[in-house]
Amino acid sequence: MSDRSRTYLKDLRTGQLAEASLIDGVSRDEIERSESLWRPILLESLEIRQRSGIAKGSWPEHSHWDWRKKHAATEGLIAYRMFGVECEGDMQGLMLVSTAGHPCRIAEQRGKEQVYIDFVASAPWNSRELVDSPRYGLVGRVLIATAVQLSLAEGFRGRVGLHSLPQSETFYATNCGMTDLGKDTKKEGLRYFETTPAQAAAFLR
Amino acid sequence: MRFTFNKEWLQKNADRDDNLEIAAGSFSLDQLPPAEGDPGDRTTVLAFGRLINLCRRKRGWTIEGLASSARIDVSEAIRIERDASYVPGPRTVFQLSTALGLPRERMLQLSGNMIVRDRGLGEQAVRFAARSASVEKLSRQEHLALEEFVKYLNEPR
Repeated sequence: MSDRSRTYLKDLRTGQLAEASLIDGVSRDEIERSESLWRPILLESLEIRQRSGIAKGSWPEHSHWDWRKKHAATEGLIAYRMFGVECEGDMQGLMLVSTAGHPCRIAEQRGKEQVYIDFVASAPWNSRELVDSPRYGLVGRVLIATAVQLSLAEGFRGRVGLHSLPQSETFYATNCGMTDLGKDTKKEGLRYFETTPAQAAAFLR
Repeated sequence: MRFTFNKEWLQKNADRDDNLEIAAGSFSLDQLPPAEGDPGDRTTVLAFGRLINLCRRKRGWTIEGLASSARIDVSEAIRIERDASYVPGPRTVFQLSTALGLPRERMLQLSGNMIVRDRGLGEQAVRFAARSASVEKLSRQEHLALEEFVKYLNEPR
């Protein structure tokens, strides 16, 4: 069963907020449809880059993520939840979180439970790394706000952790106000970010 | 579970979030890194360190300058340039590639984070490592070797 909550994204073509849905419990069909829409646009963008002589190594680092595999691997597991943001009938972003197995690392809350964001990404047409004119903004903010609200509901007081890809570090450090705990050598050297309850409250204010 | 989103809060922050990427989780390396304990191909790792060294010197940067531009630790920048057995993590390679304008995937291969399946890359790396020597100022020979290798790395495959 999935729940839908009303939210908003910024339509970057008009600058206005557009009504959207936050889906808790994205179904296999929705994932299949998202992948079928995301993949051709992703490949087209990458082919344009290739024809333009842009080296393959400069392509976005999440361009090969396969959400179908993630869904299949976590479907039915209580500790995992998959969320999506839908607008104009299309999935604009996806997030996989877990509510167990990733204890907090900030000294003042070390060892406490939190919501850990395993993966989060926007649709390829919303990424300025892939297209010149992205369609929707606020996808990341809506999904992080979802993770914080889930953390509050689970009794984790807003504690959320994640490993950011390099190109996203500014969003998590500056716009979300998360604490940067530095490189994690056990996670491909990615920087680890975490919120305290106070930071989570400040983010939502 | 139902969630609530304050429209005014989203409106207030909408402009701040424009143009910012949000991807988090892990790199999408489609090839496995060398097994633990396997030092990989030392020649490509050596070439990686030499490439970083020459690109840095070509720009007239100090090691501190490179570390600052790439947002990596100075100690790690030193190890990359001087220790042929040191394999930096993917984030460091990503940061260095961005700072120096080099192609990420090939840098991941050179640095030992991905298996080098392109034989040409291995051969070019050997050639480059052999032609570049460590001196303070970039010699004409080093300059030519660097230009040739960077051109090869950037060629679409």
